Amino acid sequence: MDYYLSVATFAALNVVLALGLNMISGFCGQVSLGHAAFYGLGAYAAALCSVAGVPFVASIAVGILVAGAFGVVVGFAALRVREDFLAIVTMGVGFLFLGVVRKQSWLGAEMGISKIPSPLDKTGYALLAIGAAITVVLLSLHVRRSWMGRAFDAVAQDEDAARTIGVDVAGYKTTAFLLGTATAGLAGAIYAHMTQLIVPDAFNFVQSITILAMVVVGGIGSTLGVVLGAVLLTVMPELFRFINDYKLLVYGALLLVVMRFSPEGLAGLYRRVSGRRLA
Amino acid sequence: MKLKLLAAAAFAAGVLAAPASAQQTPIRIGFHAPLTGFAASDGKSSLNGAQLAVEQINADGGVNGRPLELVVEDDQAKPDQAVPLANKFIGDGLKIVVSGSYSGPTRAAAGVFQAAKIPYVAGYAIHPDITRAGDYVFRTSFMGEVQGKAAAKVVGDLLKKKRVTLITLNNDFGQALSAGFKEVADKFGLEIVSEYTYAMGDRQFGSIVASVKRDNPEVLYVSGYFFNGGPLVAQLRAGGVQAQIVGTEGFDTDNFIAIAKNAAEGVIITTSLDRESKLPAMRKFIEDYEAKYKVGADMVAASTHSAVSVAAAALAKAGPDDTAKLRDALAATKDLPTAVGTLTFNELGEVNKAGQIQVIRDGKFHHFATIDDPELLAAPTK
Amino acid sequence: MFYVELLVIGLVWGCMYALMALGLTLVYGLLRILHIAQATVFTFGAYIGLLVANRTDSLPLAFVVAALAAGVLGPLIYRLVYEPILDQPPFVPLIASIGVLVAMEDGFRLIFGPYGLSFENNPWFTTTLAFGGITLNLVQVWMVAAAVLLLSAFALFVVRTRAGVAWRATVSDPVIAQNFGVSVVRVRYLNFFVASVLAGIGGVLVGLLNNLVEPSMGSVISYKGLAIIVLGGLGNVPGTLVASLALGVVESFGSVFLDKVLDRDAMAFLFLIVVLMVRPKGLLGGAH
Repeated sequence: MDYYLSVATFAALNVVLALGLNMISGFCGQVSLGHAAFYGLGAYAAALCSVAGVPFVASIAVGILVAGAFGVVVGFAALRVREDFLAIVTMGVGFLFLGVVRKQSWLGAEMGISKIPSPLDKTGYALLAIGAAITVVLLSLHVRRSWMGRAFDAVAQDEDAARTIGVDVAGYKTTAFLLGTATAGLAGAIYAHMTQLIVPDAFNFVQSITILAMVVVGGIGSTLGVVLGAVLLTVMPELFRFINDYKLLVYGALLLVVMRFSPEGLAGLYRRVSGRRLA
Repeated sequence: MKLKLLAAAAFAAGVLAAPASAQQTPIRIGFHAPLTGFAASDGKSSLNGAQLAVEQINADGGVNGRPLELVVEDDQAKPDQAVPLANKFIGDGLKIVVSGSYSGPTRAAAGVFQAAKIPYVAGYAIHPDITRAGDYVFRTSFMGEVQGKAAAKVVGDLLKKKRVTLITLNNDFGQALSAGFKEVADKFGLEIVSEYTYAMGDRQFGSIVASVKRDNPEVLYVSGYFFNGGPLVAQLRAGGVQAQIVGTEGFDTDNFIAIAKNAAEGVIITTSLDRESKLPAMRKFIEDYEAKYKVGADMVAASTHSAVSVAAAALAKAGPDDTAKLRDALAATKDLPTAVGTLTFNELGEVNKAGQIQVIRDGKFHHFATIDDPELLAAPTK
Repeated sequence: MFYVELLVIGLVWGCMYALMALGLTLVYGLLRILHIAQATVFTFGAYIGLLVANRTDSLPLAFVVAALAAGVLGPLIYRLVYEPILDQPPFVPLIASIGVLVAMEDGFRLIFGPYGLSFENNPWFTTTLAFGGITLNLVQVWMVAAAVLLLSAFALFVVRTRAGVAWRATVSDPVIAQNFGVSVVRVRYLNFFVASVLAGIGGVLVGLLNNLVEPSMGSVISYKGLAIIVLGGLGNVPGTLVASLALGVVESFGSVFLDKVLDRDAMAFLFLIVVLMVRPKGLLGGAH
């Protein structure tokens, strides 16, 4: 039972992460290869607060705010560059975050931050994570249908055209970053309290790619598709223990196959089969 | 008539078979290591060590007549895989688990095992907080700080040198070693001329080599694993640096010599394996490892091997059913002969043992010294 | 003296990065694809080179075979992975490339083992040349020589040969080039061939320099390679060269003076971000 609970908890966290990235890259078309950095920022900020005695809920709030704040900064920087440059710049942000954290002793350097107080038990975290996931799903669906969602769409399709009809492209791009990174911060804050030890390696480039893979396999831009992608890719290592030794090989091949045959991911498959768009 | 005979035969067979099968049900030990992913090389060594231990124990009659069985899982050195795995082990009814993995996943799993009161023995993960997770968590390897202190003693007392430059790997292992060394450097009259750090993935050290040449120390204390240490040492020698090199247990593998080749000559390392050991448990490990795997043993394998030995010894004493008794048996481990020396746990579950100093001559590891300074090498107790 | 030595080492590293980054910029310039899987070709070249060298004891042969092997793998990746998805949005080939990288890194680990392999005889590594107080080993010298020779050869190629001119035309404007009778498909294969040969040779050289060939040896260099091609201006060959050398020097000095402040890998990206904030089109500006 506990085993399923902990898998479900991690799946829920991954849903939150993937949906956040989906808002930045899917809704607003800005490919980000550094999402794990914001996951990390939320985790570190919350951890530092908790270790210093700040109450649980406040620590989580700080995690969200710090991640969001940095997200706005990166969003502004992103305005200066486009498309392919952006992907690499965000990759750079990820490496830079780790590079700084690894060297600063107040951030735990290589040892990370440990002895993070953990006020909830397994079931508590499961409920919290799933609750967070549901909230973000609802937020994501709402944004999609709202005026903001349409503006995002316009920016993603054709920035220049959007600008000419008076859409505040800069504002919306930054907002997308804010929303996406704040949710990553939420996931990070929960994660830190759950595992009680955070080390830099947990937020590296491979993690960024894992989150992006969840978005892409699910179907970039589709909320429910991304949820499915996140759950699937979390559960996959657990299901595939019998091909354990070839895990990464399979994972890489999966990315390849999905991109080759169904670049719109699972959501794309759904559309082809049912004729309708997956929300 | 025939039916009765058959029934009698079946009954007899059943009676004879039953106790035998009860004897044969294996005792299962959980085990996790990074078998895939960036840490796969350590994962492989670790698994080798653990499997060898199980084989040797079973060849010797098992634990109280029952064979030992290792339940192996891959955690890719990630905490978010280690935690569900820990829960899976608990759900599957395993009563004791050994970690063949890095600090992050081990610490995360330790919390889970402590809460579930399942004894957990870490093979080579280095973070101090692992054993602080609680009284159900133990560790059979030296903590980084302790090794660093041993190295300082080697430089000051044994080599009688003063001017040292540290080249430190940027991870928890390297940082702990460096901290331990610096903590007692004054005590041994050492002057730390400079310190340079490098990242796990670095293989090119030209700039550090140039800096070392400029600083001109007598000794270099280098922390790292074979895949950075090997190239580093080779590049240092190729660059004309003559200083004595003292390394750490991360170099304690034939892979290191294979990469550094001639540059490895004369390198001294602090470790727990003595190739010329008189201790039967250590000898047996080294010889059997080479015979089975056709490569020389390394420290990761040795540490994990000893973790399994410790677990098996506790199982033999307390049986596999009562985890509280099992934990007490583990805590009471005293002077147990293992592949890494004679082990005794302290109150924290950390190990006190002698440090082995090896030197590389003619492309092989040889005994250089043994450091048995209980005060210097004392593991922390809280 | 010390600073000069750091500079020289930085230039050697720069040449190492150039061999990888040039392939990346060639592919981007032609197809707008971020070919992260270049790391795979690099590592493949290194393994093949090592196997040949250990079998035959001939380094020149090792280089030739590695270059050819890489030269086959690269275009193969193009054909199997990129060609079918050229009309998709840019993140599609990017993720596909990442998939190739992840899968093949694990593949190398499964085939060759996780510990990495060493060269049995590495005479270039142990032969050193000293000049003006600086010592370099022969591998480092060859690294620079290879970069210089291969680049000059490429430059001559694009200016003096028909195939080269066709290549330039296709990069500039594929449609017009096609109207002039250039086989765009042939140019693409040629492009990947050249990019892969560069990576393969780079792989063997780095394997020799480290005396170690490992499954993941290509990835970090590939990531930095991406930073380099952005720095140099995507698709801009001279820009990439300048950026490679600049990064090598920044790393050389940075790893000694900034190592308490920043991770070495992060330096490349810090350098990138700083430059981009000041010059959004890269050091030397847009495509060639």
